Amino acid sequence: MAGNEWTLEFPYRRSVGPIVGEFLTALRKGELKGARTASGRVIVPALEYDPETGEPVEELVAVADHGTVTSFAWIAEPKRHQPLDRPFAFAHIRLEGADTDLFHLVDAGSEEAMSIGMAVEASWRDERDGSITDIAAFVPTGDA
Amino acid sequence: MSVQAAVVGIGQTKHAKCRDDLSLAGLVREAAIRALEDAGMGWSDIEAVIIGTAPDSFEGLMMPELYFADALGCVGKPIMRVHTAGSVGGSTAVVATHLVESGVRKRVLTVAFEKQSEGDTTWGLSGGRSGGVGAGGYFAPHVRSYIERSGAPDYVGWMVAVKDRQNALKNPYAHLQLENITFESVKESPMVWDPVHRLESCPTSDGAAAMVIVDADTAKVAPTPPAWIHATAIRSELGWFPGRDAVNPQGGQDCSADVYKQAGITNPREELDMIECYVPFSWYEPMWMENLHITERGDGWKLTEEGHTAIDGDIPVNCSGGVLSSNPIGASGMLRFAEAAMQVRGQAGDHQVPNAHLALGHAYGGAAQYFACWVVGSERPES
Repeated sequence: MAGNEWTLEFPYRRSVGPIVGEFLTALRKGELKGARTASGRVIVPALEYDPETGEPVEELVAVADHGTVTSFAWIAEPKRHQPLDRPFAFAHIRLEGADTDLFHLVDAGSEEAMSIGMAVEASWRDERDGSITDIAAFVPTGDA
Repeated sequence: MSVQAAVVGIGQTKHAKCRDDLSLAGLVREAAIRALEDAGMGWSDIEAVIIGTAPDSFEGLMMPELYFADALGCVGKPIMRVHTAGSVGGSTAVVATHLVESGVRKRVLTVAFEKQSEGDTTWGLSGGRSGGVGAGGYFAPHVRSYIERSGAPDYVGWMVAVKDRQNALKNPYAHLQLENITFESVKESPMVWDPVHRLESCPTSDGAAAMVIVDADTAKVAPTPPAWIHATAIRSELGWFPGRDAVNPQGGQDCSADVYKQAGITNPREELDMIECYVPFSWYEPMWMENLHITERGDGWKLTEEGHTAIDGDIPVNCSGGVLSSNPIGASGMLRFAEAAMQVRGQAGDHQVPNAHLALGHAYGGAAQYFACWVVGSERPES
């Protein structure tokens, strides 16, 4: 097929249902929400069903858009398809008010700036479309 | 000596063009909860879950068994996915049955689903390229071959299209509810894949089906009459090979012959009270009547023409409205198996065949190359 241009298609849509739908709608507004289960656990990102019991989650509750890094992997040389073109960290982030970790990225400038337990906050995009990438990255608290 | 198995719970969604009120997880859960309620059971009663759906490319969902574990109350339990194209709903039920018959499990939940609204099936069938022929384009030449070799009049296909849609009016779960369909409207509907008219084709649907399959001891104390599983069979063959008869595939002939032999059926036309088989295009009713050994080769269309396959005929076929009325592909095979079980449980409501005691459920998939059958009965088979 040399010389021919071919566009990769991905013609799918998703009906996300009421719970994940509310979570994504909140992202568009620049807010983070978690799903509270019957036992009181708050799961972020929100799930429809409690992983421990299989029962529907009770409601969505607001969580903070800041928290602490619980683990991370430093990406010293980002590849072409990765979300930032400068060194960054993929990280597990425990948001304030959540009982589970959110997987996202931290844009901290240098590996020396990264540590488990460091405080981070969301850097929201101005143009948001209701997806997890509405948060451009998390940054060390005070840097936003 | 294997354990006898039975269906004690059946559930399905309202099938529709687009169930955008539910996520995929919500869709399978709707069917599963109905099956559990029918069985008088809760999630904790279930020991394992077997799920099935058509190829991942249809809706872009990889490894659905992982995503559905929470929604199907399956945390800490085994869950496995079966993968045999359009026949998958049938073969998924067969795998669940084998888990019970082998004595490994006593109470198994089996679920099959498709949300066609989330993807593009023709694109998926074409290896991810637009402009593919789709299922209708693939099967149309086989339909023409059947008409040519059997000498069937062209209106037999229109008769099936009307019959199945009229049956669907008796089934509140069926997607298409075409109150005004007539012989003429089928004939005059657009020719989509010559010689198959639009109204001779299945719709694209969102939907799910679920069943609870249990061992004999559990079935004996079930709150509603069980459908005893008398026999199951699966066959497959390559979609293309020299000398293949794609109109009357050997795999389908062998699959049905096997299931009859296991069930002790020597004259299926006489002994079966109804058949629910996989007919996505109208002509597949007469084609499968021959493949399932209900008639001699070349005579399948006469059964339809003479009204024997109508709901008040002597061998009713597709009383639920069939695939022609609801086609959530991955679930479509299980819906056939479930309808057969509902019939022998006396549970089919307005589309019930009076005194149905023995029924055949059938599914096919791929290039008419995957086959699954089961025979279910109101009476416990002799061991």
